[in-house]
Amino acid sequence: MKRVFQHPPEPVNGKHYWRGLGELSDTPEFRQWLEREFPQGAAELNGDEWSRRDFLKLMGASMTLAGIGLTSCRRPEMHLVPFTKSVEWTIPGKFLYYATAMPRRTGAIPLIATTVDGRPIKLEGNPLFTRGKRVIVPTLTPMLERSAKPLLISTETVLRSWLAKRIRLRANDCAPNWKKLFRVCAGAFTNRS
Amino acid sequence: MDCRYCHSFVEMAAQSNVPNTQTCMNCHTQVQKDNPKLEPVRASWKTGDPIDWVWIHRTVDYVYYNHAAHVNRGISCFSCHGPVNHMPVVYQAKPHSMGWCLECHRHPENFLRPEDQVFNLDWKPDDVKPAEFVAKYGKPQGVTEDWSKRKTLSQSEIGQTLKERWNITPPQNCQGCHR
Repeated sequence: MKRVFQHPPEPVNGKHYWRGLGELSDTPEFRQWLEREFPQGAAELNGDEWSRRDFLKLMGASMTLAGIGLTSCRRPEMHLVPFTKSVEWTIPGKFLYYATAMPRRTGAIPLIATTVDGRPIKLEGNPLFTRGKRVIVPTLTPMLERSAKPLLISTETVLRSWLAKRIRLRANDCAPNWKKLFRVCAGAFTNRS
Repeated sequence: MDCRYCHSFVEMAAQSNVPNTQTCMNCHTQVQKDNPKLEPVRASWKTGDPIDWVWIHRTVDYVYYNHAAHVNRGISCFSCHGPVNHMPVVYQAKPHSMGWCLECHRHPENFLRPEDQVFNLDWKPDDVKPAEFVAKYGKPQGVTEDWSKRKTLSQSEIGQTLKERWNITPPQNCQGCHR
């Protein structure tokens, strides 16, 4: 469908500006093309009681009316799912630190566990504990992050079993000198009482 | 009922928490305990499955919004959530578009209120007693008129006072929120 352009009037000084090569050559084919609303071959429905223009108008209107009742355009409903019972002492999105310990055969490693919304995200040695060697267990954190299971059971229980497993893994990584490295990674404080 | 009974961490955390079933059941074991509308709450308490609260005010992921930062600096819940205390069913009252955020970030004086009225959703600027207000917060710079003799103060007068008093300069750069 062509648009009818409102061109500015011809300038008074008698100069004629052409707007395209077609207008310059001014052939009968170009004149016919200029006057036809739709290109040749397009159905114009001229003989019927419906013209092409009327048909499109009606179809457009019916689509609009159908659109008012369209429900698929709504924003999908989403949910917020809080805990049923709150996790003790947590503030949403803030860290909560626990002092805990990993029991060893000879004693325990003092640790600080960082939790967010009840989930442990980081384990490190307790820097306030000065009697034994300071402990750093850096490799445990990615282990916790990778866990698919929600860690809502007691933090300590989970950590205990994982820590044991993880340290064994870490020790294997450090082969062949693993025994020496292991002692640097995690020195234990032995309770001799 | 104060907003903070259920949304208890709004003053401390970035998110305003949705209450857990435990919080609902603090009262609803005794109040309205047979109301059929509260059946989902009772079911949740019984089974331990959480309640699916419909998420009305959704902030897109690429926007950082901190509730505590706003609420602690005199922006009321009302400014963003509208008259929630008069809504039979909660709806989104304000557009929550970026232009709308900037309206306040550019002119916070139109929205600031005394910090003890932040959770009062029915607060009007006319509620402020000028003499008490001026004694507590002072006046903006360059105002010679004695406001304490006035009957009422307008929102922009209250806001301007608080803005200068608390030195409020909301970020207007992109990375203030899109970080």
